Amino acid sequence: MSNVIKLTIRQVIPVSKYSSCLFNSLNKHVREYSSKTVTNADDIFKQFTDWETLSKKKTVSKAMKAYLERARQHDEFMKKQEVEYNIGKRHLANMMGEDPETFTQKDVDRAIEYLFPSGIYDPAARPLMKPPEEVFPARKAAEFDEAGRPHHFLFYTGKPNFFKLLYDAAEHLQESYKFEDKVIRKKAVPDQNSKLELSSSMWVTKEELELILMEKVTDLEYENFKLVMERLVSLPYSYRCIEFIEKYRKPLASQKFALEIPKPKFDEEGRAYITTYECLRKKARGDVTIFSPGTGKVTINGRDITYFEDIQSREQVIFPLIFTGLANKVDVECNIEGGGPSGQAGAIRWGIAWGLRSFVERSMLESMQVAGLLTRDHRRRERKKPGQPGARKKPTWKRR
Amino acid sequence: MYPRILIRKLKPNASIFHRSNSTAAQPLEQSKTNEEIKSAKSPLDHPDFFQVHNLFTVKDLFGARVHFGHKEGSLNELMAPYLYGSRQGHLIFDLDITAEHLRKALNFTAHIAYRGGIICFFNRNSLNAHTVEKTALECGEYAHTRFWKGGIFTNANHQFGAITRLPDLCIFLNTQNNILNQHTAVRDSAKMLIPTVGIVDTNCNPNLITYPVPGNDDTPAAIELYCNLFKSAIKRGKEARMKFLQENEENT
Repeated sequence: MSNVIKLTIRQVIPVSKYSSCLFNSLNKHVREYSSKTVTNADDIFKQFTDWETLSKKKTVSKAMKAYLERARQHDEFMKKQEVEYNIGKRHLANMMGEDPETFTQKDVDRAIEYLFPSGIYDPAARPLMKPPEEVFPARKAAEFDEAGRPHHFLFYTGKPNFFKLLYDAAEHLQESYKFEDKVIRKKAVPDQNSKLELSSSMWVTKEELELILMEKVTDLEYENFKLVMERLVSLPYSYRCIEFIEKYRKPLASQKFALEIPKPKFDEEGRAYITTYECLRKKARGDVTIFSPGTGKVTINGRDITYFEDIQSREQVIFPLIFTGLANKVDVECNIEGGGPSGQAGAIRWGIAWGLRSFVERSMLESMQVAGLLTRDHRRRERKKPGQPGARKKPTWKRR
Repeated sequence: MYPRILIRKLKPNASIFHRSNSTAAQPLEQSKTNEEIKSAKSPLDHPDFFQVHNLFTVKDLFGARVHFGHKEGSLNELMAPYLYGSRQGHLIFDLDITAEHLRKALNFTAHIAYRGGIICFFNRNSLNAHTVEKTALECGEYAHTRFWKGGIFTNANHQFGAITRLPDLCIFLNTQNNILNQHTAVRDSAKMLIPTVGIVDTNCNPNLITYPVPGNDDTPAAIELYCNLFKSAIKRGKEARMKFLQENEENT
């Protein structure tokens, strides 16, 4: 059993250094290791290597030799990790009493969570067991051929993929300008229908861009990227390079409330009603029930709106009803306890607004969202600090 | 502080007249040279194996505004020998001298390409950066038109995370980083013994450039001309290499 856990733990903790490896043949070809496709133009001149090939003595450059050695080591390391992962997975399946053959990654995650319970806040820091391809970052393939000639024409900039992106953008810009000139010469106007619709998406974030390019990008470079892309998008004929632009856009997160709105239930009198439990604000908590055909009666803990003595709290309670224009069309019943008047009023306000989602139009839903009616107020009382009379209040300052 | 050499050149009007009729930099006759080239065993036996002299004429240079230098005040003394004179405060290059230097540079470039060397184009002027990068892409070579991170040449193995082959020739379409400083790559290639070809304007220092070509390094038309010339020189070199490889394969 101890052996089993040792194996598992070794897999669980990512190994950062390469294990020692045996020496093998150097004759493996470069392309085997490519995890990234090389996007050079298929040029006849690419076939060239260097002077050595001219004189028929095909030698491998120092750079290539070093790379091949590193690639071989990495390959062996990954193979070893793969084997260890599979063994660990089988052991886990046995420990959980399941069939090792049908044990999937999902089961592995579940088993790890069960066997190594962790209260660490950051999920990334908790124990994990993932296939080695996911744990160890993908490495760039060899960036040069046997003669040491780099594959990428911007290799010497150090960030070839990023600068190729800028180059492509500039290329599209120039093409767009040329096309515009041509259209103007023909005395035509841009087609309004084919204009780019980009309001539902945004540029990829810096981290995502780094993932796409497999390169680190500085803040300044990311700003430059956004600038040049915005410029491209602003042109009237930018729709001609939509594929290029779309590659670096991601959809905006859509508003989710449409999916979650519950359907109202019906009581014995045939009235639609919906109850919102857990209406919280400060220390107050309660539940709110809304009956749809109603007369605007508000019942709070068996009393009417005069339950609140101050005007502000009363306004808070009826605000969502007035805002949606349903003040005289629904009845509200709520039970509320804990906290003070403003907390209770706030909790009821949120509960009413949350319940009214089922009775209003979609456009009204959006304006409720904008008005902040559907947003929970998570603020709590701030604690008193020692050495001062309140949370923020300081003793009166005296010179001495 | 008028350069002495300028005064000497500007004085006799006769010499100007003579220069305008100069045929020194005109293309050589084709028929003779072709036979010589065929007979040449190694490209190095012939002074102009790749026929780069017929890539351009002085008139092409003039048309591309290569002769415009900067204002008199910004003159680097070392550029004085390449000047024709000054007009309305602007210095004018002697295109005959430019043509001679440019042909030498093109010849050298073609030879490097023939030997499968890595050629890297440099340019720090953002107006022309795209042209330069496009040229590099089209002729299957390399370009660096961005901020120069120190140590790309001098600390290459660390910068690229592996042993790296450095360029065998650096072509600078402008040698200045900004109007005040020289491009650090000029110094670094000199340190790493990488030969350089550089378009040097009147405000640049040609000292560290192996093949300086005096000429305008700002105007897009001029840069386009240089790019086309270097591209065709490289292509000639590579074609000759291809031919050589095929012949060699047939023989063996």
